[in-house]
Amino acid sequence: MIASRSPIVHLGIRAASPLAIIVGTYLLFAGHNQPGGGFAAGLVFGAVTTLRTVAGIQRPTHTAGLVATGILIVVAVAAAPLLWGDALLDQAVVSGTLPLLGSVKSGSALVFDIGVTIIVVGLIVALLDGLPSGPSGRPVNKAQP
Amino acid sequence: MILGLLVTHVVGIAAAGVAGRRSIRAALAIAAIPPAMTTLWSFGRIAGSPDPLVREIVWVEGLDLTLRFRIDSVALLMTLLVSGIGALVFAYSIGYFRPDAEGGVRFPASLLAFSGSMLGLVWADSVWTLFIFWELTSITSFLLVGHKHTDESVRTAARRALMITGAGGLVLLAGLIVLTNETGTAVLTDMHPVDGAGGALAAVLILIGAATKSAQVPFHVWLPGAMAAPTPVSAYLHSATMVKAGVFLIAVVGSTFADVQTWKVLAAALGIASMLWGGVGALRHRDAKLILAWGTISQLGLLVTLFAIGSAKAVFAGVAILLAHALFKATLFMVVGEIDVRTGTRDIAELGGLWQSMPVACAAAVAAGLSMAGAPPLLGFMAKEAAIEAVLGLEATEKIVFAGAIITGSVLTVAYTTRLLIGVFGPGPATRVGPPRIALSLPSVTLAAAGIAGFLFVDVSDRLVSDTATELESKAGVYALIMWPGITTAFVVSAVILLTGAVSGAWLAGRETKPAPRMVGATATDATIDGVLSVAPRLTARIQHGSLPVYIVTMIIAATLATLPFFADFSANRLEVWNHPFEPVLAIAILGSAIAGTFVNSRLGAALALGAVGLGISALFVTYGAPDLALTQLLVETIIVVGFVLGLGPLRRGFPINDNTWQTVRIVVAVAGGVAVTAALLMAGSAPTGTAPIDDLTNAAVDEGGGKNVVNVILTDIRALDTLGEVVVLATVAVGILALARVNRTEAAR
Repeated sequence: MIASRSPIVHLGIRAASPLAIIVGTYLLFAGHNQPGGGFAAGLVFGAVTTLRTVAGIQRPTHTAGLVATGILIVVAVAAAPLLWGDALLDQAVVSGTLPLLGSVKSGSALVFDIGVTIIVVGLIVALLDGLPSGPSGRPVNKAQP
Repeated sequence: MILGLLVTHVVGIAAAGVAGRRSIRAALAIAAIPPAMTTLWSFGRIAGSPDPLVREIVWVEGLDLTLRFRIDSVALLMTLLVSGIGALVFAYSIGYFRPDAEGGVRFPASLLAFSGSMLGLVWADSVWTLFIFWELTSITSFLLVGHKHTDESVRTAARRALMITGAGGLVLLAGLIVLTNETGTAVLTDMHPVDGAGGALAAVLILIGAATKSAQVPFHVWLPGAMAAPTPVSAYLHSATMVKAGVFLIAVVGSTFADVQTWKVLAAALGIASMLWGGVGALRHRDAKLILAWGTISQLGLLVTLFAIGSAKAVFAGVAILLAHALFKATLFMVVGEIDVRTGTRDIAELGGLWQSMPVACAAAVAAGLSMAGAPPLLGFMAKEAAIEAVLGLEATEKIVFAGAIITGSVLTVAYTTRLLIGVFGPGPATRVGPPRIALSLPSVTLAAAGIAGFLFVDVSDRLVSDTATELESKAGVYALIMWPGITTAFVVSAVILLTGAVSGAWLAGRETKPAPRMVGATATDATIDGVLSVAPRLTARIQHGSLPVYIVTMIIAATLATLPFFADFSANRLEVWNHPFEPVLAIAILGSAIAGTFVNSRLGAALALGAVGLGISALFVTYGAPDLALTQLLVETIIVVGFVLGLGPLRRGFPINDNTWQTVRIVVAVAGGVAVTAALLMAGSAPTGTAPIDDLTNAAVDEGGGKNVVNVILTDIRALDTLGEVVVLATVAVGILALARVNRTEAAR
């Protein structure tokens, strides 16, 4: 791997990974009222996954599972209102009080966003799988005519 | 209740699939439950309330996309046929298949899926609902016809049936779209009569769709081939139900097209051609099942002809024959299947003397055959009598054409029925017969008895037919089925038909029949399908050549051309140079990186330069006050640059050397594309129309979406359907990449 020769890059990416996870999670939850959202969160997770691949550090490999989970979540959120007679993709909003966080308001849009995040991560992992220096480390891409 | 019954079918499909792993017979027994329940329910409805039952499920409001069902008398009669005969066919299949037969999961589940689809079709009250179930019957029929999929001729036959009915389905869809535009409603029962060119166009398209499904000449070529299906399938799909879908549609929309002359002429032409050509075809074959298939083409032609006439009496007769035909044709198919199972052949030249060895089957077949020929004392007699009276009541030319056609068709029918019955049960080589199976004979006897009961209990059958006909044509209620009409003109005509047909049939039965030639239409259809299949890969290879630079050049040229129309309304006075002093600084940085990207010699350097361009644009978004956009752009650029680092790894550091011409082409295209995009953006900025909807969106975001980030609320709530579509695209891309990567890996491993 290109970057695995440099211990500084290696260590830097390792150290940055948990931070990126925190940032991504923050973006996911903050998205409803501040800049962020499911797509951005997925990109943060995707970016850190890509960096880890460059450095040859372990990364998620369950591509099909990720994509399938994401699709199931968004479709379930989209179709759920049909069950009680509302229109497709109708929003449900829940509010309550949590310890430490105080008054919290959230809705099915958040669950929808989580599905979007997972699909974006799945797509990026699929792209990484498809690249010539995938986890197997050997060239797999044949030259196109 | 409508939804409940449909859900029962879906549950039944799953249950039959699970049971089919163990035993096909258990699966068939389970699959018989939903049709049996539906039959009992429809008996209850017929005996009880006369009001139609309507159920509507709105799917997308505003697009008129609804699932709408309506069970009226027409739908009830069809339900009785679909589910009643369906339950008997499942019972019959238990006898037809050996306990260790293959396809225990596939067959019962597909057959039940077909049964459910057919119910949806006859219950549909919206053209879209009808179309969905129409297509479902085509697909399930394909699975059922291709049951013995290891045999190539079976696959060809199944493919032919699917292609013809599928293509017909598309034509039908076009017709339904035209029809809904003409009438302004998608609800079948709300449609007012149409006329003019639009009405004629809809009439032609819908008739073609119906004719493919109901195997009308010249689209009939798939039906004889579909006899490759197991006989229970033929008894069910190719006699009583699926092929009736076209006739059903013609009957249901007939009143809408009452003023369209094209409808009547084309339908009559299709019907008469099929009635006569089908009758001739039935006399040319020796395979009992093929004789029945060609007879079905003929009988369906008779039905189409009657509904084409469209008079109250003709509609009444059409409904009566629809009912009678379902009963006798299913019986005959079942008997032929029983003979096939017990003797191992269906060739009438090899069969003979079965009246002694298979008396029960013989009795059922004779009862059904006489009903098909229109002889008393059977339901078919009363129905045929009504049909002859209907055409004798017409005027002038119509009377000559329709009466001539129907009388000729009826003679042919009596002839092929006589020939079939004598050929199979009459004198001949005594065929060795296997042991009887109760499950094989009980359903056919039940249906044959129903044909007799329909005559004896004329009150019941008359009410069924009369209610249905009145629903289709309000004046049809004055007619009734009559057991004994006395010596009327129609009765004399009937007697002459029976006598002529029986004599010619008996004469033909005594003659050797040469094996019929292969159908020209079938060969042509297969050749067309094969031709399309061989042209498609060559065309694809030409368009999808795989050269990335050529793809990109093509796309940029197309995008450049697409901007040309915008050059017309350009006004420079509305343009602002910049809003914020950061903008020119960023612009210089972006330009510099872009130019650097074109001069760098290493691939990685070029990728980094492109990344710098992206970061600059991301910073521009910040100056515009679009943090969401900037954040996304920043993240995407990061991933792309890191991806380049990964992807460029195994490649050479420098760019390959191109020849001068190709280099020039690329430079020209790139410059043209850049100029075009710049110009298009300038023009878009110079001509804003209307006011920005930002206030509306902000209010909607807070009130409906419950969020302060308008961009995010648009994505997850206001335009969530778009987002849903987009993430499905993303997921599809991911699946595509996975599949490609897997192919590459397998190739590399070799």
